[in-house]
Amino acid sequence: MIPAEFDYKAPATLDEAVALLASDLDGAKVLAGGHSLIPAMKLRLAQPQLLVDIARIKSLAYIREEGDQILIGATTTHYQLESSDLLKRICPLLPDCAKSIGDVQVRNKGTIGGSIAHSDPAGDWPAAVLALDADLVLVGPNGERTAKVENFFVDMLTTDLQPGEILREIRIKKPNGRFGHAYQKVPHPASGFAVVGVAVNLVLNDDDSCKSAGIGVTGVGVKAYRANAVETALAGTGLDDNAIAAAIAHVCDGIDPNSDLYASGEYRCHLAQVHARRAIQAAKARVQ
Amino acid sequence: MSATYFFEPKNFTFPFGTHIAVVEVDRETGDIEFLRYIAVDDCGRVINPMLVDGQVHGGIVQSIGQAMYEEVVYDETGQLVTGTLMDYALPRASHIPEFELDRTETPSPVNPLGVKGVGEAGTIGATPAIVNAIVDALAPFGVKHLDMPIKPENVWQIINRG
Repeated sequence: MIPAEFDYKAPATLDEAVALLASDLDGAKVLAGGHSLIPAMKLRLAQPQLLVDIARIKSLAYIREEGDQILIGATTTHYQLESSDLLKRICPLLPDCAKSIGDVQVRNKGTIGGSIAHSDPAGDWPAAVLALDADLVLVGPNGERTAKVENFFVDMLTTDLQPGEILREIRIKKPNGRFGHAYQKVPHPASGFAVVGVAVNLVLNDDDSCKSAGIGVTGVGVKAYRANAVETALAGTGLDDNAIAAAIAHVCDGIDPNSDLYASGEYRCHLAQVHARRAIQAAKARVQ
Repeated sequence: MSATYFFEPKNFTFPFGTHIAVVEVDRETGDIEFLRYIAVDDCGRVINPMLVDGQVHGGIVQSIGQAMYEEVVYDETGQLVTGTLMDYALPRASHIPEFELDRTETPSPVNPLGVKGVGEAGTIGATPAIVNAIVDALAPFGVKHLDMPIKPENVWQIINRG
């Protein structure tokens, strides 16, 4: 439970952080809250030579509207997202997801950017940002680029982040029209991580039919994913029980489900279907 | 000058009580939820009611752990795979119901205070009450016995496979 020796730097700016990472591409790791990296270091599953702590860069934690987008700084804490009146009004999926994470101490320290960049297969944020079709702003030694979140999660604990890159900002298109959000989660009784988590972002037409659905799923496979087949099956339907039942049957399409002491793959897939249905129904009920 | 005195009660004390768990099983997921938890214990004359209630609370929570969560698991190579609290589930505040406690006071005749033990009342009463409540809920599926800890997947298997 004692980590291997490492250096620690707390840069004042993002540019400094990028330079520090570039100084040791193999040995440096970004620290952005530390609720996954520090436990991994204590178990010596991770042994970085240098920790670059970006959670202390004050200008990296924010939630604001800009044009038709919501911009969220990478080191915004779970608690800041959970308690944001702006988000509760214009994008309630984010506070809903935030409040399901860990406990109060975890939410006060852990960050959305840290969770997304870590790509834990049972993390909550990946499901939410997938359902919202977010863009991620990544900054590295060669400047800045924007990545679609759908292509960002590559494998277990592996993302499209290139060596030296830092996730700087999450950009979400402001939900408009008649939308409804919901996040349904089965927390593991010990760890609190998602055995299954389903995030739903529904948009309805004026006649109550489904204009579009964004469905993000976590906990089921090696990485969080968008349930494209469910989204397609819901679009255009009246979201009646039969339409939802037909759609959720596809929630694990193409996924090799995780199996562990708490839930077999078969049970996990079943839970994903049940909670996808409940989340879709909850989101529909919340449409204004 | 010195004096030594031994007190040896004439007999054991026999605390008793009744624990009742009311649970609801989610047919789709196998999740188990407490609707009520009632415990009436008799530990003789109660000197500090708060301490007695605390003992009962703690015992019931420990029982919930035994009945529904706590399990030591080794893999085929003998490696303990529930070695941390990330894997070994203890009941948390969100896992436990509101307790409805009451008591009767039947003083013990075998000691001057009339007291009886209460430390184990919760652990003795609650585990079977919880397990029996779940078994009762699953009686329509022919269930007469369940191994502890009773986890949602086990319940789901029973409901779906019969």
